[in-house]
Amino acid sequence: MATITAGTSRPQAAPVLSVRGGIAGTLRSELTKIRSVRSTYWTMLLLVLAGVAWAVADCAGEAAHWAQTAPLDKANFDPTQSSLVGLALIGQLIIVILGAIVITSEYGTGMMRTSLSVMPRRGVLYGAKAAVLAAVMLAISLVTSFASFFIGQYLLRSTHETATLSQPGVLRAVLLTACFVTVSGLLAYGLGAILRSTAGAISAAFALLFLLPQLAKALPNTWNADMVRWLPGGVLVSQITATKAGSAVPHMFSAWGEFAVVGGYAAVLLVVGALLFSRRDA
Amino acid sequence: MIEARGLTKRYGSRLAVDDLNFRVAPGVVTGFLGPNGAGKSTTMRMILGLDRPTAGTVTVDGRSHRRAASPMHEVGALLDARAVHGGRSARSHLLALAQTNRIGARRVDEVLGMVGLSDVARKRSKGFSLGMSQRLGVAAALLGDPQVLMFDEPVNGLDPEGILWIRTLMRSLAAEGRVVFVSSHLMAEMENTADHLIVIGKGRLVADCSITEFIARSSGVAVLVETPAPEALARAVTAAGGSVTREPEPGRLRVQGLSEAEVGGVAFAAGVPLHHLAAAKVSLEQAFMELTADSVEYHAALPVA
Repeated sequence: MATITAGTSRPQAAPVLSVRGGIAGTLRSELTKIRSVRSTYWTMLLLVLAGVAWAVADCAGEAAHWAQTAPLDKANFDPTQSSLVGLALIGQLIIVILGAIVITSEYGTGMMRTSLSVMPRRGVLYGAKAAVLAAVMLAISLVTSFASFFIGQYLLRSTHETATLSQPGVLRAVLLTACFVTVSGLLAYGLGAILRSTAGAISAAFALLFLLPQLAKALPNTWNADMVRWLPGGVLVSQITATKAGSAVPHMFSAWGEFAVVGGYAAVLLVVGALLFSRRDA
Repeated sequence: MIEARGLTKRYGSRLAVDDLNFRVAPGVVTGFLGPNGAGKSTTMRMILGLDRPTAGTVTVDGRSHRRAASPMHEVGALLDARAVHGGRSARSHLLALAQTNRIGARRVDEVLGMVGLSDVARKRSKGFSLGMSQRLGVAAALLGDPQVLMFDEPVNGLDPEGILWIRTLMRSLAAEGRVVFVSSHLMAEMENTADHLIVIGKGRLVADCSITEFIARSSGVAVLVETPAPEALARAVTAAGGSVTREPEPGRLRVQGLSEAEVGGVAFAAGVPLHHLAAAKVSLEQAFMELTADSVEYHAALPVA
């Protein structure tokens, strides 16, 4: 049997971590982590496929029925929204899986204790994880958003009602859709840090983004109208992707306003998650 | 050096660790013993800064691990070999840990070689046997070439070859002048590995001494005798200042407080014939059982023969 000692060949003198050094190294570490598990790729693939498939179905359907479409509907038709709303709607629900498991899988496997014993500065670990997650989600969301937009416009070409990025609000809608999906993932990350369970975090995210807006529909109309603009999911996806007055949703804040609402939920959950992450026993 | 001062951890109404004071010195293997539920793992988690003490402090080289300038160089720990993401390859797992402390990929490959996992470095750890997982955990602990190493129940579930490997590793790490702190609930394991013992029961310190001292202190050396006249011998021994307990076999007595020669002399003077006379070495297991008898958290109901 080989003799095993740690000192047979000493590694480079132990680096002393300044806080900044700790951040750079931990960012690299988190990138290694997210790149080295299959669930990341599956979730990303699902996001791209679902976003694009929805754009194809929506836009090809509009194009096929264009001849029978009423003039008023034609006037209100928003080709940008038609190509993006699917990504905003379904992408929001898919991305929460990635956002949650990045942190809950470490609790589920017990890896968190190892991670925290090699990087005991909890704020650095929590922040690096969130930053890498955000970058990865934003990258894939942007790819999907632009792909959905261009594929959708290509399929709508027979209607002569296609959008280009230079038209008012269009680039904003494409970018905002990607940012909205990313922020929804960060919201789930915050829930993951709070609940420390994959099933719990994903269920809570679904309840917040999907179930709550459905329940709000049961409210009397006036209440619903007052309430729904404050919810982080549901009809707000139409508002975020709208580029025309006719396709915007009444009683809602502007696209930026609705994005800020989701951002507000995410920020609160991220901060609560951070506080619990640094205070609780691991 | 690990140093605990007044270390206390309370979970709700349960006191898991109760005012522990100890030091773990470099250069020797220190066994951390106690029955299941005695607070060993909780103590180790507090050393790593994972759990926050309710009271007291525990430091590594004078400071809390949470403030370590170079965490992996200061402490390497193997708490739970299965606590890895099974979908990640062995190499990616170690690389992710190394990067946090700016340790290069070369060192990752080096430790993979040391623990004999080079051939499966790119395999997902999900398929690893417990022995292989244990080696991966050891590799992670060694990455930063740490001065302090902690192993929580490292031989649990390992085959004899794995046990020997861990034991040899711990001894060689201590011989290099490192702090090696190993927990176990099995005394027999420590008898072969540890030089020094810290024993706890129900979260409280029971003993902090060398192995030899531990055995001597808890029972002392006993003398086993066999005689056709146990009553007469017991009287004579008690008169000479020894204490006597009956063994299960008829005619057998266990004498404490007298040496073999003294027992022989007492028997001769009393005219009691002896069929057998020998020193009985008290095993660590026995010593431990006696010492922690009052502090075992969960007693099994013993079947009545």
